[in-house]
Amino acid sequence: MSHPTGHGPGAHGATDLSPPHSHKKHYIRVGVALTVITAVEIGVLFVPQLKDIWVSLMVILAVVKFVVVVGEFMHLRDDRPIYKILFISPLFLALFSFFVLGILAIVHYAPFGKGYAITAVDKRAGFVPAIGGAPAEDTLAEAKLKELYAKSSAAKFDKGAKLFATSCTSCHGKDGGGLAGLGPNMTDDCYKHGGKLTELYTTVQKGVSGTAMQAWGAGAMSSEEIRETVFYVRSLRGSNVAGGKACEGDKVTD
Amino acid sequence: MSAPHTAVAHDPAAPATAHGSHDLAAHAHGHDAHGHDAHGHGHQLAENNFLGLPNIKLAMWAFLGSECMFFGSLIGTYFFYHDHSLVGPLPQDIFDITITSISTFILLMSSLTMALGVDAMKQGNRLAARNYVLMTAALGASFVGFQVYEFAHFYHLGLKLNTSLFGSTFYVMTGFHGAHVSVGVIWLTMLAILLHKNIMSPAKAPTNVEVAGLYWHFVDIVWIVIFTFVYLLEFAK
Repeated sequence: MSHPTGHGPGAHGATDLSPPHSHKKHYIRVGVALTVITAVEIGVLFVPQLKDIWVSLMVILAVVKFVVVVGEFMHLRDDRPIYKILFISPLFLALFSFFVLGILAIVHYAPFGKGYAITAVDKRAGFVPAIGGAPAEDTLAEAKLKELYAKSSAAKFDKGAKLFATSCTSCHGKDGGGLAGLGPNMTDDCYKHGGKLTELYTTVQKGVSGTAMQAWGAGAMSSEEIRETVFYVRSLRGSNVAGGKACEGDKVTD
Repeated sequence: MSAPHTAVAHDPAAPATAHGSHDLAAHAHGHDAHGHDAHGHGHQLAENNFLGLPNIKLAMWAFLGSECMFFGSLIGTYFFYHDHSLVGPLPQDIFDITITSISTFILLMSSLTMALGVDAMKQGNRLAARNYVLMTAALGASFVGFQVYEFAHFYHLGLKLNTSLFGSTFYVMTGFHGAHVSVGVIWLTMLAILLHKNIMSPAKAPTNVEVAGLYWHFVDIVWIVIFTFVYLLEFAK
């Protein structure tokens, strides 16, 4: 491979017949710098002491890399203003819409916290927790639901309790202790259709055929409402209210 | 091999002292001083628009501006839906920082070889430019290879396009980036062939290589953003 003949600094610009000064060394230096920055970005992840500034550090380093590539490799820094205008103004427009999206996301989700999915999308595309799917998916969904359950716990299951009061107490009793001939006790450790969050979800969503347990997912409740209800029901476990029905189904331990 | 070092390749990247009149002055030279038009700026002048700038370069910058908004919205959508997937696998379950770091490094190096290719062509060193462009295409192709591996791997771990919001937004975003890289690889391969066969006029070649370079570097900066904001930030929580 042939390389451009190097030109001493003196030769540069001496005559219009000589080719422009090679920027090879400069480009290589820029390449090395970019590699180092990337290595630092990855490296800081292994330094837990920097945990607090990880995010800001990475954002700054990424912006530096972005500016260096555009400024040096694409040599926009030394180029005509018209190119800068053509590139930078849409870039700001993109950043602007990015922040607007971010604000909308915060406003939209803030009342519900993380893990709250959009109902319409949820229903249309069937984005509900994996029920009876592959074991790996099940485990992950259970893990995710547990994480959300922990968060909902902080909110004292307010929403779920309200939903339970409206839709469930007619069969499962006001305090969830179950009603003779109707729904089982929700406050003991026994479940007829499984006590995992995913299993509870399925039971509420699809109902139990041949019983009074209807499929709440078929229009009566959104997937979020089912989830909140399930969380509340889960929180009742082990509270063993007085006068509750005897154990029905299998005892769960976890 | 010897490159035609007498080529007068006008260099818009050179720290222009007389910024405004830079291009026009260079063109004037191409006309008066040097009769050897093949290496002069006679052709380039014909290609230039009323601003005295090469049209394809102006068009490329305008296109890249629109690409900013395109990728901005894709990345924004990924963020908007982040952490709202109900079904696994989730990003932190499947992202492999080692593999992605390697492919990131490869793409970064391809940006360097591209810059060197543009630099070589500006000096009229056609065959060196050809080699650099070819190296860039090869590095780009291996980046695409890594992505094919990653997609296949994620798919086997249960992440499909319709699995979750993460699946949809992730595949659409990185898929569009991968498509851009693939288009770049094809473009650069063709460019290398043209340089090898010496088909392009020496007056046009530097701009042609430069414009391909702009596209390529842009693809690299999109990855810089995706790598940091999508992959690394996932582990910084």
